[in-house]
Amino acid sequence: MAARERLARLRDAVDGDDEPGLSLAVLAGAVAAFVSLPLVGLLVRASNYGLGHLVGLLTETGSLDVLVNSFVLVVWVTLGCVLVGVPLAVLTVQTDLPGRRAWTVVAALPLVVPSYIGAFTFVSAFGPQGDLADALAPLGVERIPAIYGLHGTALVLILFTYPYVFLTTRAALLSFDGTLVEAARTLNHSRWEAFERVTVPQILPGVTAGALLAALYALSDFGTPSIMRYEVFTQQIYVAQRSLGVPEGYPALLSLQLLAVVAVVLALESRIGSDANASYVSRGSRQPGQITLGAWKWPALAFCAGIAVLSLGVPLGVLAWWFEQAGAAVFEFEPAVAWNSLKVAVAAAVAASLLALPVAGYAARSTSLFSTLADRLTYVGYAVPGVVVGLALLYLSTEFAQSLYKTVPLLVFAYVVRFLPQAVGTVRSSVLQVDPKLTEAARTLGRSPFGAFRKVTLPLIAPGVAAGAALVFLTTMKELPATLMLSPIGFETLVSYIWLVRGAGSYGAAAIPALVLVGVSALSMVVILAQERYNG
Amino acid sequence: MSERHSQTRRRFLAAAGVASTTALAGCTGILGDGGSGSGGDGDQPTLADFRGSGELVSGRPAPGGTSIEDLPDLDGELSIYLGGGEGGRYTTLIDLLNQYYDGFEASAQTQPSSQLANVIVDEYESNTTQADVFWSVDAGSLAYVADNSATLDLSSDATSMVADDRFVTDQWAGVAGRSRAIPYNTNQFSASEIPASVDAIATEDRFTDTIGWAPTYGAFHGFVTAMRQLRGEDGTREWLNNMLDQNPARYDSEYATVSQGITNGEVGLGLTNHYYPMLVFANTPDAPLDLAFTENDASALVNTAGASVLDGAADPELADLFVRHLLSAEAQEFLATRGFAFPMIEGVEPVGPLPTIEELSPPDLDLQALSDVQPTIQLLEDVGILS
Repeated sequence: MAARERLARLRDAVDGDDEPGLSLAVLAGAVAAFVSLPLVGLLVRASNYGLGHLVGLLTETGSLDVLVNSFVLVVWVTLGCVLVGVPLAVLTVQTDLPGRRAWTVVAALPLVVPSYIGAFTFVSAFGPQGDLADALAPLGVERIPAIYGLHGTALVLILFTYPYVFLTTRAALLSFDGTLVEAARTLNHSRWEAFERVTVPQILPGVTAGALLAALYALSDFGTPSIMRYEVFTQQIYVAQRSLGVPEGYPALLSLQLLAVVAVVLALESRIGSDANASYVSRGSRQPGQITLGAWKWPALAFCAGIAVLSLGVPLGVLAWWFEQAGAAVFEFEPAVAWNSLKVAVAAAVAASLLALPVAGYAARSTSLFSTLADRLTYVGYAVPGVVVGLALLYLSTEFAQSLYKTVPLLVFAYVVRFLPQAVGTVRSSVLQVDPKLTEAARTLGRSPFGAFRKVTLPLIAPGVAAGAALVFLTTMKELPATLMLSPIGFETLVSYIWLVRGAGSYGAAAIPALVLVGVSALSMVVILAQERYNG
Repeated sequence: MSERHSQTRRRFLAAAGVASTTALAGCTGILGDGGSGSGGDGDQPTLADFRGSGELVSGRPAPGGTSIEDLPDLDGELSIYLGGGEGGRYTTLIDLLNQYYDGFEASAQTQPSSQLANVIVDEYESNTTQADVFWSVDAGSLAYVADNSATLDLSSDATSMVADDRFVTDQWAGVAGRSRAIPYNTNQFSASEIPASVDAIATEDRFTDTIGWAPTYGAFHGFVTAMRQLRGEDGTREWLNNMLDQNPARYDSEYATVSQGITNGEVGLGLTNHYYPMLVFANTPDAPLDLAFTENDASALVNTAGASVLDGAADPELADLFVRHLLSAEAQEFLATRGFAFPMIEGVEPVGPLPTIEELSPPDLDLQALSDVQPTIQLLEDVGILS
């Protein structure tokens, strides 16, 4: 390679051809730096303790137990999600299951139940002194299996995260080239052999992608293990940060360990993602012949129904039961609580959308390394569990910005850090659909860069920006760990209110807020689906 | 002491439906509190609004002590860290005080008390104190905050209101006491048959197969932690093993120990906090139930909810005045009749058959040591009580 060529490549790495203006690059870089602040703060704090101290903590505290517990939970949840999600996907895509369409919707629906609300309802139904225990007591049933600990945590997480596996597997099955199966059949393979040798390798990447999502969720989820009293990273970070007699730096150490584990999962995911495409989306348009269930129809239906009862029937039934039982007490919560939730969610949505514009615009228009880096940095919130974001912001504010400590702006900042990726994702895909020639035309007609953006680009990407804002709004409404850690005194939101009355055992008062949050989650699903159609 | 119980049995029977369970579930005292209060002029809560409802309460004399009317007005904004919070009951009291004064607005954040104590000390050390008042359900967390010098001294106006020196220091004032107790079924035991020592319950044959307890329960862990402090690990292990030989019945909560176990006669007696029997009476006034207290051992442990003013409070005077309001006649009546607590001031009697807190004989113990629960859990696991 000639030196000149190499030089040219290097220049391209810094600024590709057709680079957008420098100002956009600076803006995008600033946003990326801004949202990486908490993570930097956490690392600074951890490095202040010194490596020796942290290594000492590793051995003298129970952090290894926590690591083992987290690992066990992730394995259970991942396996469980595969065992539930894959059969459901196969049944609804490739067989003659009665009511396939309806079962497809039902199987995806548990995603709209925030897992901590699921956990509450399970504790309420199956816990000691729970409604079920009360119902069974006259029948002479003394003890039902304990819901607390690993079993309950894994059960709840499986029930509310298996749809990830279900959906990715379903996508793989739908884009699956049926002629291959037929080829195998003509080569004298039995139906089962054909499934084993052709279908499985084809859908495996889809299954794995979903399984890794479920694993990431199980690692990051704070609410369920906290309610189920199972000592994993998220639960321990929260408790250690506010417990007596915890050695200095322990929450930070746990956070670093958790981030390391998350990094491993993400690395796996990116490897799967990159070499998956070959088989994941082989554009075979023909579906293989349907599998006739015959007598297996009944157990298959029972399986689908059983999962639906557990993952939808129990939570919604229990919420309805709370509502019913509480009588007048359901209206106990003050409207101010809902109002607070709305306020911070709107603020987070507006802020995230504004910050997403330069990053997404730059990433969509530029091919430089810097733009990729800026884009990737904004995905910090996607990778870092909420409880770690909360802890990092507590550190950051107590050390560098005491006037911001436990204020609403800091809380909104936490939401922006967590949910900016959603906004960037939707905005970027809509910017990509705008033909650059349009803005060029506007420039030649004498518009300034900003003027061209306002007159041409913005109207075209408005639906994408709105969808991103809506997503941030809805996910903020139900965010739990950062809300608990950073809310100012007297600043009660729907989420913190549910957490509070649950602690007091007056479930009835939690009925309406919990139902509202389920509705909010359902809406965010609608937004995502509409987006997919829009980008279709 | 046991004589006292037989006398008070009748008073107990008169206690038909003490405070209604809505009060226990923490009915947020939104204006007028559902009609039991007689509004008064304007919207200012009256004594009736502070009081619980039920026959027992209607027979009570007007509370003595310092009425809110005789205290300076609360005026301004106040932030409260609420440790524990007794199922929302404390926020009800805060709401009542907010209603009482037009110019006063208190807001609270509730979290588990030991966690909050730690948060307060962290905030004090990083100079980001958030709250003016720390109001906690247990004295241990108050002492921890005070020992880390995160509190200001209370005024003598406040501290002098507390009747019993054991429940007040310069840094914090007790506002509502609670004790461990031995509730028993009156069809199976008479008052004189309940021993004054928790050791006798673990060793005497007559208590075999008749004890109920809730070993997974936080209050029970506090009691065992107290025993560890008083007699050490080995002595506690011995007591636990003796208890296991008595074949006690397990319940999921101390309330269930009393409401199912003792009331239905499944067991004859139990080890619980003193207010669970009172809760049962609220629902079933004629339950065959009474309660006794041991003396000078872990089972006679008395703990107290209390309040302190935080160093860094925006308005320390207002915070101190708020603590005095918690010790007012009306607030103490509220805590005594709605939460069945032992009042902390002269002139307000505990509900029904309860002795006054001065009549109890708690062990001499540093309540702060009760936060050291982890070794207790470990011990309970070792002995095989918890898995």
